Parts: sequence; structure tokens; C-alpha cells
Amino acid sequence: MHKSVGIEGATRILVKRDADIVLVCQRARSLAADLKFSGNDQVALVIAISEIARNIILYAGEGEIFIKTVFDGDTPGICIVARDQGAGISDVSLALQDGYSTGGGLGVGLPGARRLMDEFEIDSKVGQGTTVAMIKWNR
Amino acid sequence: MFMDDDFTDDAMSGVASTIQKLEDLLLVTVPRDLMDDQVLSLRREVVKHIRLYNSLWVLLDFSQVDICDSYFGRFIQSMANMVRLTGARVIISGLQDAVIETMVELGMTLPDVRAVLDLDEALAMSRTNGKVDADTSETELAELSFLDSSTFDFFEV
Ligand SMILES: Nc1ncnc2c1ncn2[C@@H]1O[C@H](COP(=O)(O)OP(=O)(O)OP(=O)(O)O)[C@@H](O)[C@H]1O
Ligand SMILES: [Mg+2]
Repeated sequence: MHKSVGIEGATRILVKRDADIVLVCQRARSLAADLKFSGNDQVALVIAISEIARNIILYAGEGEIFIKTVFDGDTPGICIVARDQGAGISDVSLALQDGYSTGGGLGVGLPGARRLMDEFEIDSKVGQGTTVAMIKWNR
Repeated sequence: MFMDDDFTDDAMSGVASTIQKLEDLLLVTVPRDLMDDQVLSLRREVVKHIRLYNSLWVLLDFSQVDICDSYFGRFIQSMANMVRLTGARVIISGLQDAVIETMVELGMTLPDVRAVLDLDEALAMSRTNGKVDADTSETELAELSFLDSSTFDFFEV
């Protein structure tokens, strides 16, 4: 994971209801537009965030998402950190597999978000919660 | 007081108005911010209207939706499964190319669902195909004309 990942200086948005997902996605999209991300990259970023945010509401009840601009030399990117204090994931590598779902879903959220972003890291402890950190670069 | 049957159910207000008949198609405008309770009433209404009009196709119009994530994928799939039980089929329209590409990359495959560009194409398809044969119309999102299979392979990890 790139050294610039983190929550310092980031905008923090509480995620508790569906409307909060819309808010996070709007914020990310306008930031991506400001940074001249291509249309496809904007959609990819927003859908990845939407997946992670839905997981928070579905599996942890509530959490928070941090958004900020980061740089790798001259290359701008958007860093997303999503954090909750829910039940956590007992087998992260299983949860990252396509089609795996404990919630009757398609099981595409986590593996899909990983594919759509350039950098993706998930840290989860049972009983403590889950943190997903990801970056999309505008290369 | 005028009270249309369709509007007596509270959860239904705003849902019934999104369903319209067009020849053999049932046109369903998917709301931008689809919520869980709406999904249930929408599914119920769609089945009701298929029976009412003997519709052969249900066209889910996504032109109001700009973030089509797995939640919508799940919605499309459950709708397709249910509609299929009535003998009709689901078509989707109004998805921007970037959104379709992203859905494929996300890993969403929607067996048994056809995507078309717009209403014109949906109508043309329903006119030429008529009643579909359940065994021969399997079309996956990845098999669509504007997304060749190599695009899909590319996105597979
Ligand atoms: N924040 C979280 N807290 C606890 N468990 C989680 C969290 N996010 C994901 N999971 C677990 O990981 C599994 C896989 O998540 P993923 O998003 O890939 O699929 P899904 O949510 O089940 O279905 P889909 O996203 O396709 O609707 C979930 O079913 C759930 O068990
Ligand atoms: Mg999910």
C-alpha cells in the first residue's frame, strides 16, 4: 500500500443510512472530476466506494468513510479509508473470493472493489471491526 | 374522492407510476435511489401488471440510475428470476457504457438478462422475437454485442 494512505486531513463522512452512501459517492465523484479522472475511472471509483459503504451498513450497521486526495510524485489519486466496529470478517481471503456472501448477495462487493481500485487493503478482526483502505490513481 | 386501486398501498405510491405498458413490453423505470422496501413492492406490482397486460417482456429502464452497484445487480437478478416464473423475460436498458463496463469488471454476470441500448431497440427486439423460448434465450451481460468476450476475459483476474 502506498505510503500516502491514511485519514489525516481527510474528509470524514458517517455511514449509517442509504442516503449517506449517496453523499459519499457524490463527494468522491466531484473530487475525481476536479482531479480530471476519466469518466470510466470516476464510475469505477464510485462503485467501489458504494460497495464498501453498503457492506458497512449491511454487516456492521454503521461506520465512517474518509476521503482525501493523495499524490505519488505528480500523479494525483483518491484515497478512501472505510472503518467500522462491526463483527469483523473471520476469513478475509474467503470474503475476497468472487461469489462468497453470508448475506445472500452476489458476493461481488469486496473482490469487485479490489479490481476496480489500484490499491486495496483490508484489515479485519472478529469482534473488533473492519477497515478497508484503497486508492485510485489518475494515471 | 378519487382513489385508484394502485395507489391505496402506502409503500406503492411512486412505484405504480413507474410501470407502463408498451405493446408487449412492461416498461419499469428503476428509481435512482432504490430502497429495500421499494424493491419488494416493485416486484409485486410488476407481476401483477404482467398478468394484467399479458406482457412478454419487462424492460427495466436504468436511465435514472448512475451508480449501478451489486445492490442493483441483486435487484436485476431477483427480478429476472421472478419474471421468468410468469413466462416473461427481463431486458435492461439505459445503462451508460462506462457503467456496463464497470459492472462487468465488478464481476456481475446476469444470466438470463438481455441489455439493449434504448426503448427503440427493446421494441424492435420484442417485435421480432415474440414469445421467447425459455431454453434458447440465455444471454449473459458478457455476451452482449457491444462487449465482446475478450473484454470480459481481460477483466477476469
Ligand atoms: N464491513 C464488514 N463487516 C463484516 N463483514 C463484512 C464486511 N464487509 C464484508 N463482509 C463479509 O464479507 C462477505 C463478502 O462481502 P462482499 O461485499 O464481497 O459480498 P456481499 O456483500 O455478501 O454481496 P454483494 O456485495 O455482492 O451484494 C460478506 O457476505 C460478509 O460476510
Ligand atoms: Mg457487499
